[in-house]
This record gives sequence, structure tokens and C-alpha cells, in this order.
Amino acid sequence: MTATSSSIPEFNEADEDNFISSGHGSNPSSLSSSAIPSPFALGDSPGGLGRGGHLNLNTSTYFPSSHNATTSTTFPISEADDDSSSASSMSSTGTIIPSPGRALFARPVLHSTGSSSGGTGSGGRSYEPIPWTTYFERELWLDTSPTTRHHAYLTSPVAGSGGPNSGSKGRPGPLFVTHHGAGSSGLSFAVVGAEIRRRISGAGILSLDARGHGGTTTTEEQDKTEPAIDLSLSTLAQDLFNVMIETKKVMSWAELPPIILVGHSLGGAVVTELAKTNLVGTSLLGYAVLDVVEGSAMDALQSMQTYLSTRPVGFASLKDGIEWHVRSRTLRNPVSARTSVPGLLVDANSTPASSSSSSEAQQDEQKGVAADGTKPKLGQDDGKKASRPWRWRTNLAATQPFWEDWFVGLSKKFLEAKGGKLLLLAGTDRLDTELTIGQMQGKYALQVFPEAGHFIHEDLPEKTATVLVDFYRRNDRSALVLPPKVSDLLAQGKRV
Amino acid sequence: MSDLDKAIETLRNCRPIPEAQVREICHKARELLIEDGNVVTVSAPVTICGDIHGQFHDLMELFRVGGQVPDTNYLFMGDFVDRGFYSLESFLLLLCLKVRYPDRMTLIRGNHESRQITTVYGFYDECLRKYGSANVWRYCCDIFDYLALGAIVLGASYTLPPPASPDIELEVRNANNSIMSNFQRHPNSINKIKEQDQSRQDEMMATNGAGEGSGSSPGKTGPPGSGASGYSSGSVGNPAGAVLCVHGGLSPLIDTVDKIRLLDRKQEVPHEGAMCDLLWSDPDEIDGWGLSPRGAGFLFGADIVKVFNHRNDLSLIARAHQLVMEGFKEMFDASIVTVWSAPNYCYRCGNVAAILELFEDNSGLGILSRSNGDANRSDGGPRGVLMENELAAPHLGPARRYRVFQAAPQDSRGMPAKKPVADYFL
Repeated sequence: MTATSSSIPEFNEADEDNFISSGHGSNPSSLSSSAIPSPFALGDSPGGLGRGGHLNLNTSTYFPSSHNATTSTTFPISEADDDSSSASSMSSTGTIIPSPGRALFARPVLHSTGSSSGGTGSGGRSYEPIPWTTYFERELWLDTSPTTRHHAYLTSPVAGSGGPNSGSKGRPGPLFVTHHGAGSSGLSFAVVGAEIRRRISGAGILSLDARGHGGTTTTEEQDKTEPAIDLSLSTLAQDLFNVMIETKKVMSWAELPPIILVGHSLGGAVVTELAKTNLVGTSLLGYAVLDVVEGSAMDALQSMQTYLSTRPVGFASLKDGIEWHVRSRTLRNPVSARTSVPGLLVDANSTPASSSSSSEAQQDEQKGVAADGTKPKLGQDDGKKASRPWRWRTNLAATQPFWEDWFVGLSKKFLEAKGGKLLLLAGTDRLDTELTIGQMQGKYALQVFPEAGHFIHEDLPEKTATVLVDFYRRNDRSALVLPPKVSDLLAQGKRV
Repeated sequence: MSDLDKAIETLRNCRPIPEAQVREICHKARELLIEDGNVVTVSAPVTICGDIHGQFHDLMELFRVGGQVPDTNYLFMGDFVDRGFYSLESFLLLLCLKVRYPDRMTLIRGNHESRQITTVYGFYDECLRKYGSANVWRYCCDIFDYLALGAIVLGASYTLPPPASPDIELEVRNANNSIMSNFQRHPNSINKIKEQDQSRQDEMMATNGAGEGSGSSPGKTGPPGSGASGYSSGSVGNPAGAVLCVHGGLSPLIDTVDKIRLLDRKQEVPHEGAMCDLLWSDPDEIDGWGLSPRGAGFLFGADIVKVFNHRNDLSLIARAHQLVMEGFKEMFDASIVTVWSAPNYCYRCGNVAAILELFEDNSGLGILSRSNGDANRSDGGPRGVLMENELAAPHLGPARRYRVFQAAPQDSRGMPAKKPVADYFL
């Protein structure tokens, strides 16, 4: 089944539309390596979500002359209340300095994508689902194994338009391959994927539903022996690779495009595992891990079941499900919630045969943690089913046997695997000791978005996309031109 | 006791000083720093320190091990704030000492001395917690913009002070001042030093009669950074070659120290470009330049360091920025050293810290006094061609004493409550 994307999100953020894709013109100077992103910029950049909501993305360089539109980055600095020094430095180098007078640290208004989307403010906020076709070009059903049919969303990379750095025509744009966290779905990356494509028009997005999630089906589920589905890390990593290979076949790509792996939470562990196996080979430019750190994940596991037990068992409608996610601040961006939540819930009353078994199994489980705390009788449950037919697609509680396997050794693997490494964290920085040392030794790039929740890419799709695109540009080997090596110069008899 | 001394006393007890006083001290500090060039000149003896990261009690331990100000001349290579629980007290104490003893304290900028970084990694939150407003954070950030980007240490000696043998190039001591290990100079280097001493004395005699610069060729004499002296001949007033101190490392855009002097430093640390590189880059076992995994700055290899040192008449680059478990790490035939001064970083990394002591050259040849390192500067014309074999020449660095120390016992006062565990993490 194929569908073509209509216009990308309805939310209007034209005023934030000053992205590097416009100004990052291929820089003639070899040094300034147009691939350099903002190192720390968006972390908690004071300007990042200032009043104007302008991205504080500063790509100015020391070659003002070779730069064209970059300086168009508009940041609402009023020089009047600013220290003269920073004002002057701004003019001299184009560096953005947040002006002290601004309410830099005022709580950001809930995402602009949110309030402007469904129309009105808090009262009339829309919780209508947004179809995936808004964000992706097509969906794929891929037989990755005799027992597994993976479901994935794809927007193909476009050759020759991999962004301003891909000078040569014909080079495929990058493919961001995303893996969601446990209990989530491929639609979790829908909005951020669209944001990536706003920055690199030729970028592709491949977002799969992991087994046991979304539209992916496995016949193993028929086997009622616990655990129902093999959700071990190695299996999930192999799945992710298989999906990439199958997609390549289905799409008749001659080879894999340059790949950036992006994984959220469990997905972060999966992409790290895949990077460590080297299966993707030289196509892999780098991997980004969103909001998961071994140390703190292991700590949090203890309270996971408690947390899960507080979730509603089901919802009367998709709309209710979306509303719960937004109101509980599980997802803080209504637009993304309206897009991704439909991937998390199935209608128990009209479940297609393919996935009925799984949701059935989960309801058995869910009975044990019914909200009223009493051991539900069969009849009660039936009643609930009728009134709240939308159930969780994935029975998270049942995945417990795999939890440790997902996260043990993650930090080590993250540091050891080949390729660019980006760690994007929400809230406070929760680095464990290994990653603290690694970070202070400069082994990877770290970004922290204090204002985001766990679903960092859904809460802050623009900022996340900006960081991911910068990460790609920096690791894009074809675009990277480093200064000549001294030994080469000496070998050529040149003075150094 | 002056207000400043009182402030120092208060801060030494790890207590914050009133906001109004912070403002006043920052104002004074700014007047002081604004006069500095991007690369300040420091005369040996000097004790060079790396990252502090708000670990106040470890900073106190550092002073205990290295000597108190103003008895010891200190150079801190940035990253005073963030991560630790006492960024405020640590930075303000250093700043007060700078204002009180300007000639005994040098502070250069690290990548954490930045608005954007401090909002994420703790300093901003700490100011907010301790003062209820961001004013103090703003005062400090304004000062960050005025910190120098680098320093040049002149007049460091080839030898450790007696009773150490003159052959000793490197000595490591523990916090109790006991020698843990030492290393002798390569015999070739010793001969070379002797030759140099001889030639320097000859040169001195020549210049005494004929005026400076007339006798020595092909190398001109001049301050390091102006590239005015040759590699093998040494130069008057530059006994062991100069030492460049910078927080991160080199930049492909910077081939001479003079280029650093041309930057406009009074700004937030940019996301790319020379100033960013100086604060973000790392040396690495690679050939040439490489991509930094940090997402900012570059990696640079041994060849880059050696050529840079040769071109700028440097004998050593001292930098911080990277955690080294042993406290310090020399690389590339001791042409560059990483000094890390935050023991048990983040209160859990289990590393030791180190400071680097360089000594005054007592050879009687003295150093030429220069203001700010750029007096007497030549025009930086063409300099000697570096031949490949010179890259492998014996290294003539200053004698170095590292003092290695452990974390001080932690005072839990002022520590924020344990970070809440994430409630959802699958």
C-alpha cells in the first residue's frame, strides 16, 4: 500500500523557518568545513526557545564573506538592553548572544506546533488523530523472516539533493533510520522526520515498527509460552538491519544510502547494538541515541512496573488516548501525540486477525493491573472492553524479561562502536560514570534539552531535527574536507 | 581587612558573597581583563592547572598541594564552572584572587565559560539556587567574555630546582610532596642544552656589545608567537622555549600564536571557527587534522603539534579539556600535555588530578621583560623551513614537575538533592 504525502504538518511555524539548510552554502574554504554543526548550541541554549521561538542555530563562521544566508538567523536581540560588548561582538562575527534583558528562561510556551495546530488555546485543543500519510511517502510491509512481517514508514531519500553539501549530483541523500522505544511505534518519529526534511529536502526517513509494536506482526505470537515474542536486543538489532536491507530491495536501491541511525530509549540500545555489529558497514555515518543511559535506565527499571500500573488500561477512543498522553505530559507536543498515539493503540473490538493475538495476550495481562485494583472478573473485563476498547498494542509489562538485556553494557558499546556518536538527553543530564568519563574525554557529542520529556524528539521536533541534521552534516564524509596533512605537504616538498 | 580580603575569606569558607559584591568584583575584574591581550604572557615560575568544574573542596586541596596565592603563581586553563556543586564559590574565589593579586593569578577561558554551556551543565542552576535570580550568573558570564584565550609562559627552566639533578626532565610528586617517579632527559638533549647554553652565552656577549638582534642569524630573536627565533639556536631570554597554554588545543585556522591575538574574543564562544577550536579541540593519535567526536573543534595529530611548536618557537603546549585518569598526560614526545585538575570528576569518576609546575630559569641569562608578550614583536616574516628530520629531533622542553593529588573529603553541605530517577525509560 502506498500513499503519497500531502503537505507536511499543518502547524504553522513559518517564523521559525530559518534553518541552516538555507544558509549552509557549500563553503569554499576547506577549513570551515561546512559540516560543522553547533557544538552545544541547542543544548539548553538560552535563546533556543526564547520568546520568539527562534532556533538559536548559529552557523556563522570566520569567513563571513564566504557565507551567504546564514546570518539570516534572526534572534530577537534588542541592543538597547544589551551589554555593548556582546552587541558589538555580534556584529563582528555574527555570533548569537542571548541578551540578558530577555526572558530567556521563561518557561517555553507549549510548543508552537501544538497550540497553533488544532486551532485554539487550551480550551479547544484538538485531539483528532493525524494520519501518517501527512508525514511519510509510503508504508512498507517487509517479510524479514518467515515468521515476521515488519511494518515500516518510508520517505525515500532523493539523489542529488542531500542538502547543500552534496555538491555532486546523483549522490543519494542521507537516510535517517529510526527505531522507537519500547511500547512506542514508528510514528513516534513522524514529526521529527518531517522536520529533518525541512532542513535537508533530499533526506529520507525510514521508521519501522519493532516486532510486537505497531503494524509489525509475528506468528510466533501464537505460541503462548512466555515470553511471547523474542524482544532480545540482538534480535531487534538484526530486525532493524533486515528492514534496511529489505527496504533497499523493495525500493530497488543499488546500495544503501548514507545512514544515520536514530534510536529512542530501547531504540537507542538497538541502534547502538547494530552499530557495534558493523553490519551496516561503511554506509553508516553515525548513530544518535535519544534519552537513554545505561546507568539511569537500570535504576529506573525497578520502578517501571509501578509506573506501568498507573497507566490507563484502555481508552474509549483514539482521541481519549491522545488526550491522556498530552494531559499526563507523557507527550508534550499535541501535534506529535496526535500523530504517534494511533500507533500505540488497537481497537480490541475490531482488531484485524493479524494482530489480535497480541492484544489478546496483553489484555489477559492487563487484567491483573486493572485500575480499580480489584481482581477483575471476566464479566467486568468484558464490560471495560466495551467501554474502553482502545487497548495498548504492546503489553509492556510482559517485556520485563528483556529489560536488563536491553540496557546492560549500553554505555560501553556506545563508546566503542564505529561512527559518529550523538547522545541527546532530556531533562537533566543523567550520564553514568562511564559516559561521564567518555564525555569529558571528548568521545562523543552530548546535547541536553532540559525542557523536553522522555519523548524528546516528539516534544521538541524542531530542535531535535536541527541537532540530527547538524550531526549528519558533520559526519557526512563526502562533504568533509579537512586541512592538508603536514606530512603530505612535506612529501610534496612544500614548506609548512 | 579590605572588603576584597573579606570576600576572599568568605569564599575560602565556601560561602557565597552578596550579589552586590559580586557585581563590584566583576566590575573590577573586567577592568583588569579588558587590558589583557587574547594571549597573556606569564613569567615562570608558574603552576599550571586544568579543569576545576566547581569542585571547590578539591580546589582547596589544590592550593594546599601547590601552595597558596600569592606565594605560588597560578595559571588556570579554564573550565572553572559546571558539573560540581560549588561552581559559584570556585569561580568567584579565583576571580577575587585575580583582582587581589593580578600578577599571581592568570585565568584563561574554557569551553564551559559560556552562557549556553552553563545553562545546561549546572552553573546557571546553581546561581539561581543560591541567589534566587540569574543576576550573578549574568555578571559571571560577562566576565567569561573577557577571559584571555591563551597564555604564553616565558622563562621556564630546563632544570628542576636543586637538589634535583640537572638531568631530570620530569618529576612526579604526590600530595605529600614525596617523589613518586622521575625521568631523565635523553642524553642527546642534554648535550644539546649544553650547546645551547654555550651559544646563548656567546650571543649574550655579542648582543651586549652590538645591540640586540645584530649578531644572531639566521634566527631573529623575539618573543615566542612572533616566530622570530630559530628552532635549534635558542634565543636570548627564552631558555627553554615558551609554553603555550590553551584550554582545548589548536585550530586549523591558526598557524601562529599571533593569529590568536587577532581574534575578537569578547563574545560568547562561537560554534565554530578559530576561537571555538582553541577551546574545544583535542590532540589525538592521528595524522593531520580530524573530526572531533565532540561536535565542535578538531582532532589534531603529532605532526600538527610539532610544526606549530616549531613555527612558534614553543617547547610545549599545555592544555586541559580532557579527563585523564592519571591527572596528566604527555603526548607526541612531550610536545603537548593535558593537565586535569578535578580529582574524582563529578564526584564519581575515580581519577586523580594534577598540576604542572614550571620553574624559573636561574641560569643568570634572565628573561627579557615584556608586557603582554607582544612588545618587541617582529613582523612575523618567513621563517625557517621545518625539515622532516627536525620533527624527530630530541625535544627540548622545560623541566616539569607534576603534583598529583586526590579528591578532598566531600562536604555534603549545599549539595542538591539526589537527582530524581527517570520514571519512564523503556
